[in-house]
Amino acid sequence: MLVITCPYCQEAREEEEFSYAGEAYIARPAVPEEADDATWGDYVFHRKNPRGWHWEQWQHVAGCRKVFAVKRHTVTYEIAGSWTLADGKALYLKEQA
Amino acid sequence: MPKQGFQPFMESPLHHFKLDAEAQPRRADGRIWCNELPHLGYAVLRGDTAEAGFAQLVEQVTGLALPLKAGAVSQGPQGVLMWTSPDEWLLVSHRQRLADWTAQLDAGFAAQQLFAQTVDSSGGLTLAWLGGTQHITVLRHLGVYDFESIPLGHMVSTVLGKATVQVIRLDGDGVFVLFRRSFADYVWRLLRRAAQPYGFAVCQLEARSDHPLFAQLAAPQPLLVSA
Ligand SMILES: [Zn+2]
Repeated sequence: MLVITCPYCQEAREEEEFSYAGEAYIARPAVPEEADDATWGDYVFHRKNPRGWHWEQWQHVAGCRKVFAVKRHTVTYEIAGSWTLADGKALYLKEQA
Repeated sequence: MPKQGFQPFMESPLHHFKLDAEAQPRRADGRIWCNELPHLGYAVLRGDTAEAGFAQLVEQVTGLALPLKAGAVSQGPQGVLMWTSPDEWLLVSHRQRLADWTAQLDAGFAAQQLFAQTVDSSGGLTLAWLGGTQHITVLRHLGVYDFESIPLGHMVSTVLGKATVQVIRLDGDGVFVLFRRSFADYVWRLLRRAAQPYGFAVCQLEARSDHPLFAQLAAPQPLLVSA
């Protein structure tokens, strides 16, 4: 059972209150008209599925119903932190750079 | 149209339990005392606190300050206003007063061109009061939240036996449990079953005028829905 801190409710809550909402920060093709099928295929279907740290979205469905970002380790299940999507994106982009 | 035409009337989602017939004056024993507060008015309020005039208008119309802290509940003799999300609140009051409020709020939002709205959910929710010395223990049987840690004057939205509920704690005497109409039968049976080992009794609820929620029972219930 994960214990996730909701950045909006500002409280650690049990996993039971949340719903998983997939990988975070998947970038939509910048120029959709010019994107080819392979690019669209990657955008729609392909996920990182890493063994290690993973940026993902969780929704606090039983609480404030907001979606936010969580950085979780897929092997140890350790959670490095949770942020609003905007705050998390700054950290995510810094990590990717 | 015949005189005896369509006559819609309000019915609590727990009406089939006939709680009125079972209700007795509350006694100071170790039992769990519980009952429904039927036919209250509920409205969801959406808006942006950064927008000038929004919080002021809400307070001006309802007399309740917009709570900005997570889980905070504003209380007054005419009802409560609860934080449910950073841009969403739940207003609970007497059904008729709530209808007046939502009309005034919507008119105010339109006049001031505020990006805000009210949604009347009165038909979709109901409220139960759960009291007695062991009432927190009963909740502990059903949900994972640390219910005893809810500060007075706060509410928490969580799950009891998979059903989403809001637990509102205004004083140490008991809690209010808010749930959906569609889950009412389930949640009521769940509370009753969990309370059984401690003794369960349905109590008569007094329409206390000094209480933000019990006061909303005071006026006669508009059981017949006007067209
Ligand atoms: Zn939350």
